[in-house]
Amino acid sequence: MSDNDNSEEVRTDGTGIVPPDDETPTWSERKTRKQGLARLTYEYFERSRREDQDLRQQSSYVERDVLAFPTWPHEMIRNLALTSFFVGMIIFLSAALPPHIGPPADSSSTPAIILPDWYLYWSFGLLKLGPLNPDISLLGGQKLMADRTYGVLANLVVVGFVAIVPFLNKGSARRPVEQPFWSAVGVSGVVFAFTVAALSVKNLIPMDSHLIFDLTFLLPVLAAFLSYAVLRTMREGYMFNLNRRYYRLRPPK
Amino acid sequence: MSLERKDEHDHDGWMESRDLTAIEEIYLTVLLWLDRRLRIVDYLEILENMYYKVNFQMPKSHTEQYNLDNKFWYWYPLYALGSFSTIAYVVAAISGALLGFYYAPGAGASNGTPALAYNSITFIMTELNFGFFLRSLHRWSAQVMVAAVFLHMLRVYFTGAYKEPRELNWIIGIVLISLTMVFGYTGYLLPWDQLAFWAGQIGVEMSLSIPLIGEWVAQLLFGGFTLSQSTVQRMYILHVFVLPFVTTGIIAVHIGIVWMQGIAEPH
Repeated sequence: MSDNDNSEEVRTDGTGIVPPDDETPTWSERKTRKQGLARLTYEYFERSRREDQDLRQQSSYVERDVLAFPTWPHEMIRNLALTSFFVGMIIFLSAALPPHIGPPADSSSTPAIILPDWYLYWSFGLLKLGPLNPDISLLGGQKLMADRTYGVLANLVVVGFVAIVPFLNKGSARRPVEQPFWSAVGVSGVVFAFTVAALSVKNLIPMDSHLIFDLTFLLPVLAAFLSYAVLRTMREGYMFNLNRRYYRLRPPK
Repeated sequence: MSLERKDEHDHDGWMESRDLTAIEEIYLTVLLWLDRRLRIVDYLEILENMYYKVNFQMPKSHTEQYNLDNKFWYWYPLYALGSFSTIAYVVAAISGALLGFYYAPGAGASNGTPALAYNSITFIMTELNFGFFLRSLHRWSAQVMVAAVFLHMLRVYFTGAYKEPRELNWIIGIVLISLTMVFGYTGYLLPWDQLAFWAGQIGVEMSLSIPLIGEWVAQLLFGGFTLSQSTVQRMYILHVFVLPFVTTGIIAVHIGIVWMQGIAEPH
């Protein structure tokens, strides 16, 4: 307020704040007046804001320039371009290859091949892991649960394992070369999905069924070992390049 | 509250004190007259805000900052898989809504004679104009959606995008992939041909073999321990009523979280 004679004048630039009358609480008063959980939430946010600010002011705290790739507009525009191409592909496929209808349902004739859709083959294969169901000697060689129950349980175990991966694999490693073990686990999982799918259709594969059963579990392990070896080898060169780039950008003091 | 007029800003006095040309004066008078009635200033402010939001200078992305685009661009299609499955879901929803006009769930006796469901599929495929295309589009977009969802999960796994701030979204994704497969399964049963019937048989046996709650699950999902009319009806309601609402809601949450957190890039 440099010029006192003009202070009577009303600001018309749209930023003037209408003065509240005496009873109107300000926003901060409204927030601080609150009781109970709302009050607690307010205090927590104030504290965490203060904490963030303190962290930023500490000299050791380096704020990263980019936390993640912004969804809008970078990612959305690129994705729209790519997905519109794929939608064209869907339309082309559906015009060219209409689906087949089988014979109508007949409960008295079981078809030779019973299959779900392809994306459930892995689950269907897990239902056929009966031979792995242990016979416990304490129960007199009897099985603890039926083979079918065992198969359903196997599904739950697989899905449950995938769900807890973020809590098992922590740390800032992102690329496969930075985490050879977990990438090998992923590769073996993918290979196992295929082999167990093959197991579910073993009556269609001209191969010894015992051999298929053994390969179902051997191939994923083999793939895991191979990918682990390859990634560990790649990691040497990768880390060298990464360090070189890092120290070029931020030369040591 | 009182009926007295509130103090108004003395716009006229302000106009007097300024040395305005006739055009400026007319313009300001009209503007003030309109603004007193319509609060144009507020809308101008909104427009101004929008202008700055549209022309917002985005921070540099990781790839731009470290000039990695030459090494990175061929991974972009894998980063579009999430959007791709969403778009395929939308295509399936639209074509499915149109198919719903012509399909009727009805199992009949399941003794080899075509039942209501099977007949309506035959009608769609052979007689309805563009019916074969509609069903084909629905089926292909569903297949493509499932494939895209699986590949999306692999991409997220191998780029470590499920880590620290994104664990919740990974678990929501597991729920979504399961719902997608249930969607596919319920749709697979609807034509009520041989494949559908025996896939349904497997489903009943699977749910019966769940410990403790198996019979209850079989009753709830399949309407009994053997396949019947109520099986098709329940699959139909799951496919066109229950799952669409649940899945759409969870997809919205999933995408919302991605929007808030940004896309995780490999570092």
